[in-house]
Amino acid sequence: MLEAIKLKKTYGDFEALKGLDLKINAGDIYCLLGANGAGKSTTINLFLNFIDPSEGQAKVNGLDVTTHPLETKKFLAYIPETVMLYGNLTGLENLAYFAKLGGHNEYSDSDLRNFLKHVGLQDGAVEKRVAAYSKGMRQKVGVAIALAKQAKALLLDEPTSGLDPKASNEFSELLKQLQGGGAAILMATHDLFRAKETGTRIGIMREGRLMQQLSTDEVSHADLERIYLEHMH
Amino acid sequence: MAEASLSRVTPPSMVGVVARKEFTEIIRDGRFKWTAIIMVMLLLTALATGWQKYTAYSEVQAAAQGETNHQWLKQGDKNPHSAAHYGNYAFKQAGPLSFFDNGIEPYTGNLLFMEAHKQNLAISRPANDSSAVSRFGDLNGAMILQVLMPLLIIFLGFTAFSGEKERGTLRQLLSMGVNQRDLLWGKAIGIGGAALLAIVPCIVLGALVLSMLQISHTADNFAARVGLMALIYTGYGLVFLFLTLGVSALSSSPRTSLIALVGFWAFSVFMVPKSAAEISKAVYPSPSWGEFQATMRADQVRGLDGVPTAAKLGKYVRELMKQYNVDSPTKLPLYFPAVRMQKLEEFDHEVFDHHYNGLRDTYMAQRRLQDAFGIMDPLMSLKSLSMGLSGSDLLHHDRYTRSAEEHRRMMVSKMNGYLSKAAVDLNGVSSSSNYMTADEAVFSIVPSFSYTPPTLEEVTKEYGSAFAILAAWVLASIVFAAAAVGRVRKVSA
Repeated sequence: MLEAIKLKKTYGDFEALKGLDLKINAGDIYCLLGANGAGKSTTINLFLNFIDPSEGQAKVNGLDVTTHPLETKKFLAYIPETVMLYGNLTGLENLAYFAKLGGHNEYSDSDLRNFLKHVGLQDGAVEKRVAAYSKGMRQKVGVAIALAKQAKALLLDEPTSGLDPKASNEFSELLKQLQGGGAAILMATHDLFRAKETGTRIGIMREGRLMQQLSTDEVSHADLERIYLEHMH
Repeated sequence: MAEASLSRVTPPSMVGVVARKEFTEIIRDGRFKWTAIIMVMLLLTALATGWQKYTAYSEVQAAAQGETNHQWLKQGDKNPHSAAHYGNYAFKQAGPLSFFDNGIEPYTGNLLFMEAHKQNLAISRPANDSSAVSRFGDLNGAMILQVLMPLLIIFLGFTAFSGEKERGTLRQLLSMGVNQRDLLWGKAIGIGGAALLAIVPCIVLGALVLSMLQISHTADNFAARVGLMALIYTGYGLVFLFLTLGVSALSSSPRTSLIALVGFWAFSVFMVPKSAAEISKAVYPSPSWGEFQATMRADQVRGLDGVPTAAKLGKYVRELMKQYNVDSPTKLPLYFPAVRMQKLEEFDHEVFDHHYNGLRDTYMAQRRLQDAFGIMDPLMSLKSLSMGLSGSDLLHHDRYTRSAEEHRRMMVSKMNGYLSKAAVDLNGVSSSSNYMTADEAVFSIVPSFSYTPPTLEEVTKEYGSAFAILAAWVLASIVFAAAAVGRVRKVSA
């Protein structure tokens, strides 16, 4: 579903991404670990076609994102560190808006409420303007948008950063549900624990290069931490 | 890539989705409510004031013209040439939409005294005493829309893209696969709709006012004038709407876009009109009233061609005596003083035409030069078009003064013509009437003053270039906005 082929991004002399090869299939939760500036967000921005690659290709569902910028986004959902919504609209209105932009006009008001209920947004909050939402509530609306969009691939850029452990755990559970539904998920994170608990595979990045890939079934928390720190030094 | 996506055909429903969301967000914003209320209040005040002035003036104009015509007829028996000196007044008709845009009317006057030997300017403030052809007038509907409508659009739209960038919603938005063209048009419709919400009540009230005024039957193509007026102001609004969206798309923050847009607004509304007026006056200087009168008086005496009026008159008398085969003017079968006075009038016509046409050409040249500034400021084109359609521009004023002068010449000619027959009577050859004295019956051979203002066709012909420039602004602003929004994908990363 998501594929990077010798993907490279340079800014002048600086190489932000150095020939990334990556393939994430349906049902995978691939966690990209790395320090700030490792190239995690650059990878996500390239898949979203927010920036053009210097070399290589980023593909979504077999389509190059640079030649099919709109079509590829139809398969994608994007959840950043803080899902930014329209403060003057309610959670329900935000969801309805993004669902329609994603090409889904078919949802009734009840359908949309069910999405929000499914992600754990309290009934009373649905009709409140998003300006009053906590970060955890916004992240839930982000997941609801992904559900409503019926996205085949999710790009998550440190989505649990700043969430309390309970909210973070709820978010991970939602990701697993999406994974169970056959979505391919790429999540950039600093959180080793969350990566091990949620992910199916882990990639460790450093200075724009993918240093090592692991299967979460094959490593313990301690091993993962050790391997990660080895690459960081 | 962005440009490619702009050209892709997408369902209109996506535009509608974006438009509805933009509209909803704006009208829920407390700042919009207050801005809209202020805008509506100002527009309504301006329209009410304009309507009050228009109706008051129209009533006074009709009554006064009737009264002065009555006074002409009832001036009492007197020598016909003295009657021409007694004179009459020509009142200017209010432009059909001058209650909306009074243009240069406050500076040009609306009352003109018609008398023998003199071509007068309209009483009030002659244009040559003001700063070229003044570009700023009273508080009126046109001024509100010209000055405040762009500001309203800027305030509604400056965050359209830059605000989304700053809040981070633009990335969310673009990740949904919505193309830039849909975003642009959706936002344009949403913001434009909100702006209309502040303006439509005033338009509805304006329509009611128009129906109350019942001027639609008297003005040439009144409905078409109103339609064109709506069209040009819509075009002007679109220019600012798309400029706002384009600048917002290019700006990294709302603050930057607001500064840039308010800067352009000030440049457009204050700097260019004032500079254009001064530059046009410098390039085509118009004389002061005193200078104008002095030069004209001198030319009346010495003649435009260097032949003094007295010499021309002498030649004319000799030709006349030859024509009638007499050796003295007193032997002419005409009352010579009347013929002489009429001939002197006609010599003056040439001088008047030269100076007044020159003055008019200067003002027209000033106005056309100012119109050329429309290339850098859409307001310049809009102002000319608005005044033209309202009937409060130089074209309409010129038609009024020319018509008054034609009427004056006809009045003097008829009175002198009547008097010229006196010799026949004095010689006892013809009727026994005393042509030396005219009464009401004689005065009535001069019809009441009336004139036909320029037609809509004449107006559109005169302002064709201004219309073309405004249309070019609309097109250019859309192209600019489309190009700017096409770059949003890169800016947002």
